[in-house]
Amino acid sequence: MKKVLIIFGVLSLLIFIRPVLGLNTTTKDTNSQGIEKLENVENQSFVSEAFEGIKQFYNYTGFANVTGGHLIMIIIGIVFIYLGIKFDYEPLLLIPIGAGVIIGNIPFVTGNMTGIYESGSVLNFLYFGVVKGIYPPLIFLGIGAMTDFSSLIANPKLMLLGAAAQIGVFATFMGALYLGFKLPEAGAIGIIGGADGPTAIFLSSKLANGVNILADGTTVKNLIGPIAIAAYSYMALVPVIQPPIMRLLISKKDRKIRMKPPRAVSQKEKMIFPVAALILTTFISPSALPLLGMLFFGNLLKESGRTERLADTARTKMIDIVTILLGVTVGASTQADIFITKDSLLIFGLGALSFVIATMGGLFFAKLMNLFLKGDNKINPLIGAAGVSAVPDSARVVHAEALKSDPHNYLLMHAMAPNVAGVIGSAIAAGILLSFLS
Amino acid sequence: MINLPLQIDTISEGYIILATGLFIVFSSLILLTVFFKLGVPALLNAYKALKGLGKKNEKKETSVVIKSEKDFTGETAAAIATALHMYLNEQHDNENAILTIKQARKLYSPWSSKIYGTHQKL
Repeated sequence: MKKVLIIFGVLSLLIFIRPVLGLNTTTKDTNSQGIEKLENVENQSFVSEAFEGIKQFYNYTGFANVTGGHLIMIIIGIVFIYLGIKFDYEPLLLIPIGAGVIIGNIPFVTGNMTGIYESGSVLNFLYFGVVKGIYPPLIFLGIGAMTDFSSLIANPKLMLLGAAAQIGVFATFMGALYLGFKLPEAGAIGIIGGADGPTAIFLSSKLANGVNILADGTTVKNLIGPIAIAAYSYMALVPVIQPPIMRLLISKKDRKIRMKPPRAVSQKEKMIFPVAALILTTFISPSALPLLGMLFFGNLLKESGRTERLADTARTKMIDIVTILLGVTVGASTQADIFITKDSLLIFGLGALSFVIATMGGLFFAKLMNLFLKGDNKINPLIGAAGVSAVPDSARVVHAEALKSDPHNYLLMHAMAPNVAGVIGSAIAAGILLSFLS
Repeated sequence: MINLPLQIDTISEGYIILATGLFIVFSSLILLTVFFKLGVPALLNAYKALKGLGKKNEKKETSVVIKSEKDFTGETAAAIATALHMYLNEQHDNENAILTIKQARKLYSPWSSKIYGTHQKL
């Protein structure tokens, strides 16, 4: 260690002394006065050049280019990370997105292929998967390989709750139209009500991508960033948004309804489900093929019993990799100069509204269904709230809410049925909007 | 009349999409519901019947199985599954607390061997 230090010290000394020695030799050789002047000039130019260099460097730093918008977005990124860590609100999403928001909002000088919107930059390449809608179907593959549809197969009527919650999608769509958004933009905003991040990204990358040209000749706005952030942040906030609405709309008596345990589902039914559902749903809404096809394909991998290896990769490694890329790039796409606009604020407002309407739609429809069901078959209206997808958070919220009014009423299994139906429903809704508006 | 998209204002078009969209979402999920309520059991029964045609003796056995399945609720399944999971995956907790260090035998490597030194005087 000592030797290394000594060698390093000697080397640095030598490097320091060399110019001094060099200058000394020149002064020795020639006339002193003129050279001194020259030396002065040289010194000056050296200093000023160095100063210029430092100035140049400073101009490239974040400190010189920072604006209020950047700082606001960085703080938002930190808040996301804080929420993910402290309150455990979907940390797998909020932490990558939060880090992405910080990455995307470090101020820089354009032209060096740094930013996510500069074509050719590394981040731009990663963002490609978002812009072209590649990541969402891959995520759906993983979700399919993770999800157990047996509670849905055991009680197919709960599928309707997943459809009822899609009222949120269409209500938000109308709201966005009234606020002056164009039709495709409104469609992309509406899908926030589907409470499904990948679907929202998929649809907005097709409808509001800043590339498509509308009928009246104007280009559509690029709303992928705000829509994705709104969808994911409200998904993370499901435990905050939903319980008050549940308590408001469902009476204490109804909250205590116990549902009979779902029947055991045979393996054959589980295998038939993905194939049959794939064919039925995509025949109706072929535009949703990338999402639904991958979802049911993933589920088939899981249930077939022969492809455990593939299913295992899809639901662990692959979905993790895609989630990381998706989270960071979606976060980084919130570059302040593009993100902080009036539109983003409106989208956030509409997004909150859409979650509220979707939850209410599910709850009301569950109440409606109860009017027709008798005795043992009655459903606990709380599970209607799980119809907004947000898998599996909203099902967990329903479970927790039911436990509060009756500590022995376990609704998780029952709530999973409308929950996964919500995923199917919002993918179908996305397909419909896509076929109408693209 | 239909070929005048510019004259239809966006709001009314929105309502059209709203109505048709909701209708399609509901109808497709209702279709799924009906299929799994009626179609799948019918299919499975047909499959069973086809199988049963060949071997009439096994019919009795199947009916016995169905009887015993009546008490077999999801809760029982969950309890059994939990027990199995605990047995297979969480044995780790009962591990012996005594730590032992195994001496690893080093393989011979000539990198510092004196035999191959360059400063050796013969």
